Amino acid sequence: MSLLGPLGVTLVVFVGALVVVLILWWLGDRSPRTLTAPERAPFAGGLPPAVHAWSRYHARYYVMALVFLAFDMEMVYMYPWAVVFVREGVVAMVEMAMFITILLIGVLYTWRERALEWA
Amino acid sequence: MRQFLARIAAGAPVPVFAIAGAGAREQVQDLRLNPGVRLVDSPREANVLLVAGAMPESLAEPLQRIHDAMSHPRCTVVAASPEGRDLHAWLPDATAVALHEPIAGGLVDVHRGILRGDRPSEPALLPDVEPAPWRGVGPFGQGGTGMTGGTPYGRPMADLLDDRDGLRLDILPLTVGPFFPRFPSGLILQATLAGDVVVESAIEANPFTDLDFEMVTPSPTLGPFLRALSAPVPIAELELARARSHLRWLADALVSQGLHALGVRVLALAARVRPGDGEEVRKLERLLRGTQVFRWSLGGVGPIAAERLIAIAAGPVARASGIAEDARADDPAYRELGFTPVTQRAGDAAARWRQRLAEAEQALDLAGRAGPRQTEVRGQVEGPRGLLLAEGAPTGRLYELVPELLAGLEWGDAIATIVSLDLDLEEAALAAQLTAGVPVA
Repeated sequence: MSLLGPLGVTLVVFVGALVVVLILWWLGDRSPRTLTAPERAPFAGGLPPAVHAWSRYHARYYVMALVFLAFDMEMVYMYPWAVVFVREGVVAMVEMAMFITILLIGVLYTWRERALEWA
Repeated sequence: MRQFLARIAAGAPVPVFAIAGAGAREQVQDLRLNPGVRLVDSPREANVLLVAGAMPESLAEPLQRIHDAMSHPRCTVVAASPEGRDLHAWLPDATAVALHEPIAGGLVDVHRGILRGDRPSEPALLPDVEPAPWRGVGPFGQGGTGMTGGTPYGRPMADLLDDRDGLRLDILPLTVGPFFPRFPSGLILQATLAGDVVVESAIEANPFTDLDFEMVTPSPTLGPFLRALSAPVPIAELELARARSHLRWLADALVSQGLHALGVRVLALAARVRPGDGEEVRKLERLLRGTQVFRWSLGGVGPIAAERLIAIAAGPVARASGIAEDARADDPAYRELGFTPVTQRAGDAAARWRQRLAEAEQALDLAGRAGPRQTEVRGQVEGPRGLLLAEGAPTGRLYELVPELLAGLEWGDAIATIVSLDLDLEEAALAAQLTAGVPVA
């Protein structure tokens, strides 16, 4: 292997993968088969769909963003704060209290949106 | 090499999409106990389509649609009594097996044959016709308004509706059923979804009402209750059938919650229980409490107020909302046994689960103490789903309640609510065809 160098190893891996793919292709079902319209239709219990499935719906990603901000970004601010807390004293304490209060409103809103429930 | 791989593949559990028609619910359910068969939730995942029992003609096209939705290689097995010859007209390539013998062996044989290439994969049954052509405004069908330019295959794009966050977004009208694996066979739900929230819904008429039940053998858990309408039946037999019916329902309900292995255990218990085995159900209840399924998945889901259930006689569903109504309380033989109905108060899906567990336990205790006592014939009987009488079953009476229960629920909760009602369309259609006072064969 060392004779071939790094490029040679890549080549061997590539050729090996190609051979495996070709064998699988040869073993697989190669008969030309096009799907009929009912075969392509999505399954929902046996009846054809009434409207197209391409639908824009509200996945409520903002709730996930809120959870992220409340529990992760909080830490981003807290670490540097913890470093200077002893030096700054009461001022830092008050600043953090304000920050946590604002975050808490977000957490309460998240709670109302049922994002903290299991299912 | 190909033969070798096919032989290995043929040894795997058979992926089966199973459809239970009238009189075959138990047989299909019992397939879960067989390690050689894997019941799957979508025909795309299956190699074998199993259609068991009797089917009304209105369900022929959905059956063929499901057949065509399977990927290749595919085959069909029909398990029906001799009168089920209609099924062969609708599914011409199907292999027939006897309904009242174990079906699993037939499924494994057919699957092995198709993987080894002994028999060809079945062709599509429905014609290759789009519901409508995809037409835009341009000369080649391109362009126009909307996201795709035109109407894709006659299926219009979704309509718009105001969202609760003040956005204007698409709503998706969705027809689920008649063979959606989580719903009782034949239930067709027309739901309008905004995201995953059910905005409104409607249920279509019971397709099994078109079926002639004179030729169908009622299932072993329903048979004793039908007989009790017109003849005295030993209480021990009736109560054992009730416990089994509740446990079988629980097995399906657990599968719908993703607890497959526990569902299989409950199904095995349903086959094994004997009169006086109340302790087994108590153990099961403790086990279920340990899974937290009551608190995390079912608590507060689909509550029904007691006033909505007055005069519906919906059995466990009504008793889970606190209505102590039970036809057994009027039977002198049950009064001798000291029977009083069990009730819950919450009225949500969790309460309905607990209610059925408590009733299964009570039924086994009653069966153990009943001795030779028999029921009194009064033309009505408290079935596992509520008051059963000629010309009426509880499912028919609960049917109208479903749309208002589902409004505003998330899709997962909507399924949990429907499952918790234990609807049985076959029982409803069968009861509607009974004439009061005529004995049931």
